[in-house]
Amino acid sequence: MARVMLDVSSVYKSFSEPVLVDISLNLNGGEILGVVGPNGCGKTTLLRIMAGLELPDRGSVRRKGKVGIVFQEDRLLPWKTLWENVALGLKYHGMRGEELAKRVREYSSMVGLTDSDLSLHPRKASGGTRRKAALARALVLEPEILLLDEPFTGLDVKARTSLREALKWIWDEYGLSTVIVSHQLEELLPLADRVYVLTPKPARVAKEIDLRGMDLERRLERVKEALFHILSRSGTE
Amino acid sequence: MVAPVGERSGTMTQGRKEAGKGREIAFRTGRILAGLFVLAIWISASATGMLPCPAEVLAYLLSMKLEDVAPQVLKTLYNSITGFSLSFLASMVLGLLSHKLSLVKGFSEALSEIFNSTSALVWSLVLVATLGVLSPLPPILVVAAVTLPHVLTATVSALSSADPGLLEAVRSVGAKPSDEFFEVILPSSVPLLASASRVGLGTALRISVVAEAFGSSGGVGYMIIRSYNLADASGVLAWSIVLIALVLGLDQLILKPLERRAKRWLE
Repeated sequence: MARVMLDVSSVYKSFSEPVLVDISLNLNGGEILGVVGPNGCGKTTLLRIMAGLELPDRGSVRRKGKVGIVFQEDRLLPWKTLWENVALGLKYHGMRGEELAKRVREYSSMVGLTDSDLSLHPRKASGGTRRKAALARALVLEPEILLLDEPFTGLDVKARTSLREALKWIWDEYGLSTVIVSHQLEELLPLADRVYVLTPKPARVAKEIDLRGMDLERRLERVKEALFHILSRSGTE
Repeated sequence: MVAPVGERSGTMTQGRKEAGKGREIAFRTGRILAGLFVLAIWISASATGMLPCPAEVLAYLLSMKLEDVAPQVLKTLYNSITGFSLSFLASMVLGLLSHKLSLVKGFSEALSEIFNSTSALVWSLVLVATLGVLSPLPPILVVAAVTLPHVLTATVSALSSADPGLLEAVRSVGAKPSDEFFEVILPSSVPLLASASRVGLGTALRISVVAEAFGSSGGVGYMIIRSYNLADASGVLAWSIVLIALVLGLDQLILKPLERRAKRWLE
């Protein structure tokens, strides 16, 4: 049986009003887990709690290994080049010189960044390149768990395809346990092994769907059906 | 007949460009009018015999030798920049500590309020009386004391202007509080600090001449008061014009371009 890398148990979070209620889910080793739900339902808050950037009011989160997070906005330091942005975490962990340069190059090329991309400042780079740099910044620390918040939002078709291919290559090579929060089902569902469908705010887990063995059409049908059911039920309440 | 959409938007863009050009010309005309207005007041005042006429002052300015003007200008620049640097350094230290310690925050706020309500004249008299007329320190310390409240307020708000998203991003890859300060908080505050420096240095130059007027260590302020004591009205105005040229030159040629550059820093 696969090892549980991330265990979220009965998490409750409130910001003046409840945002997450009794959320329980788990991420197994080497698995890609999708979290979907209506806009503003609390998906990002849940991801931040998984990353340890936010504490739950109740419940617990257990992580088996280092966590890397890629935010919805790239959050790259505008006064540093992409190379310097990717290297940030390594520098904070005391790595210097050739060892650092080698690691930055390795992970940057893994996500498809070239040397000329890395020499750019964020304002000069395209949205896709910036997103890849943000991904490389998280990967360079070699996390065991990767959390991606809306990784495809704001990118054009070419950039989305390129990012999806980079992610797929990384998963095939390293089997990195990953949670993806996304409302872009067409991008998320071909990648995910399982999906948790959340209700509108306050978010609860409405359904867990195992997508393995299904073709894309079936995956889309199952998840859309679940979302439709949730939305129509919340509309009648 | 209605023009095609592309043609219409082309006409609109052209119209907007022309309106913008019109506003720019009006703005420049306004600036020229302001100069002429000041000159008209000066000419009217000189007609009553209260002031020398512009031609006399211009002749005085042209008669001034560079070797006489340069040391006084440099002295004023030295006093202003040193005084401003002192207040900038003190503001950075207090601003940083205020960020962490409520005691220092309270101390800084109260200090700012006291310094802000004390005039440059009072500082000049007290410091000259304390340190002596021959001491080179009063102009520097007056500049530091007068600019401190403004620079400190700007520094405190600049240091708290960092994007929380960027702070969270560096924290997520293991940044320590010192990394957060040097990698995010300080660089984020560059544009605001540049704006504060522009205003602060301009103030410093104007304040330093007040302090120089009370001592005898030289500087443009000293030359203004010396000309006044010698009943040399053309000298007073000529040295005042030197000061105005210095403030405007520093602002337009150095500080404004630096501020513009700093603002692009965060883009």
